[in-house]
Amino acid sequence: MIRLEEVSKSLGGKTIIDRVSFTVPQGEIVGLLGPNGAGKTTIVRLIQGVISQDGGSISVDGKDARLQGNAIRQMSGVVTESAGLYPDMTAEENLRFFARIYGVEKERERIGSLLRQVGLTEAKDRRIGGYSTGMKKRLAIAKALLHRPRLLFLDEPTNGLDPDGIREILTYLEQMNREEGTTTILCSHVLHQLENVCDSYLFLEQGRIIEQGNLAELEGKYAASVVLHVETGATSNDARLPSAYRPRAVGDGRLELTLPGRDQIPELLRLLLSYTWVHSVQIVNRSLESIYFEVRRTYNEQ
Amino acid sequence: MNNRVVRAIAVKDMTSIWRTSKVWLGLVILPLLLGVIFPTAMAAAGRWMDISTLSGGRLNELLKQLQGVELSGGSLSTLNHQFIDYMLNYMFIPIFMLIPVINAMMIAVNSFISEKERRTLESLLFAPIEVKELFLAKLLAAFIPAYGSALCSFVLCSISVNLIVYPMFGSLMLVGAKWLLIMLWVIPVFTITAILCSVLVSARVRSFQEGQQVAGIIVLPIIGLIVGQSSGAVVLSPLLLALLGAVLLVINVVLLLLIARMNDRDVLFERQVH
Repeated sequence: MIRLEEVSKSLGGKTIIDRVSFTVPQGEIVGLLGPNGAGKTTIVRLIQGVISQDGGSISVDGKDARLQGNAIRQMSGVVTESAGLYPDMTAEENLRFFARIYGVEKERERIGSLLRQVGLTEAKDRRIGGYSTGMKKRLAIAKALLHRPRLLFLDEPTNGLDPDGIREILTYLEQMNREEGTTTILCSHVLHQLENVCDSYLFLEQGRIIEQGNLAELEGKYAASVVLHVETGATSNDARLPSAYRPRAVGDGRLELTLPGRDQIPELLRLLLSYTWVHSVQIVNRSLESIYFEVRRTYNEQ
Repeated sequence: MNNRVVRAIAVKDMTSIWRTSKVWLGLVILPLLLGVIFPTAMAAAGRWMDISTLSGGRLNELLKQLQGVELSGGSLSTLNHQFIDYMLNYMFIPIFMLIPVINAMMIAVNSFISEKERRTLESLLFAPIEVKELFLAKLLAAFIPAYGSALCSFVLCSISVNLIVYPMFGSLMLVGAKWLLIMLWVIPVFTITAILCSVLVSARVRSFQEGQQVAGIIVLPIIGLIVGQSSGAVVLSPLLLALLGAVLLVINVVLLLLIARMNDRDVLFERQVH
């Protein structure tokens, strides 16, 4: 669906994107991760053809981003960090305006259904200048979905949302992806939110893709050993625990144990359960967040 | 060119004018003041006041001087007739031109700069809109209300003025080739000049106030015309009006060429969206 080959972009003499290449297959949800200023927003703008690359090629569904930007924008929905909505217009007026821009058929029904989905039906006649950040974000998502895009770009889509709102939006995105095969690129700093949503990840640092892959591939590469937090009756100085597991008390009746691989977990649990209780086991170094920092640490050490 | 997109943006912009008091007040107050009250007051003064006593006789001198440069063929009998003719067929023209030009400038500057300030320009550039469609929509959204308000005030002015002066002259005023040229040639072209200037200025400034101040330069030629008319140095004949429109048209072509340089999403985005 999306293919970038050796794409570079400079602004004001500064390299923003440096020979970036990646592909995103149709129907995938991809997390674009990186610190502020890494070039995430620039990549979205390049793919949308709103700015042109200095070198390399970008194609979306076989269309050249530089030459056929309008066709790409017609099939895309974008939620930018600033909601990009008109504060002096009501929610319904904003959606009606963008529905006309995108040529949405049966706009009244579509707007009504989206307002229901994002929970803004009651507030649809209020000017959005008075909306909370979360409400604006939900409306921006509704705007991006108006024309049933095949491609979605979401820059910090859960910023300003309460936990219920975050869950609703992420569930809806997954549902859209499942039912309509919407290819989605998500940029977010809240990594644990992405963990259960994304199929794969792109790690961006100083305008370069420094790593990519799905969680299992990244785990295999960056989390060779498994660090577990086990809520158990065993103690760190328990002689029955092999010292190779490097047991360490981490408070609240929990032990930290380091195993050479995931396949060692059943053996450890069998050992513990043979003489004491186990209430919970959590892998703590295989979260997306820990992998993110590991990827960046490895890159910066090179 | 996608008409649906152009119409959607133009309608959105025109609707938002009514929500921006500093803009719509101009669309009502300026035409009323300059386009209706001023000429009606002049017509009333010409009919019911002793003109020879006004401005300590200096007006008499000016009117005599203007008779020399063929004010309405020099055929008007009394000083009051000459005063009304001078005020409505000469002085009033550049003053009337201020109405659409100032309004078009205000609307266009507000329209572009508010898209930048509210970061909605980014949304528009992320949409399937050609930059020229965006410019055309903005031009229409400024032209229609600015020209419309000028037309309305002209109709109101014609009614009120003619109710007063018809008994004196026995014929209608504010009609004929000169006024046709003004309303259908000079004012539309000048209004477009004001909009194009505002677009160029808006692309280079950050705030509404800054934009207004710089774009305000467009009214200077009109001030020059007012001074020229009041001193008798320039008399706006139909030929001069036709020429004025032609010169403005050439200026518009130059401005369009300058704007065409921005007709690139890349350039517009990098300059306007941060």
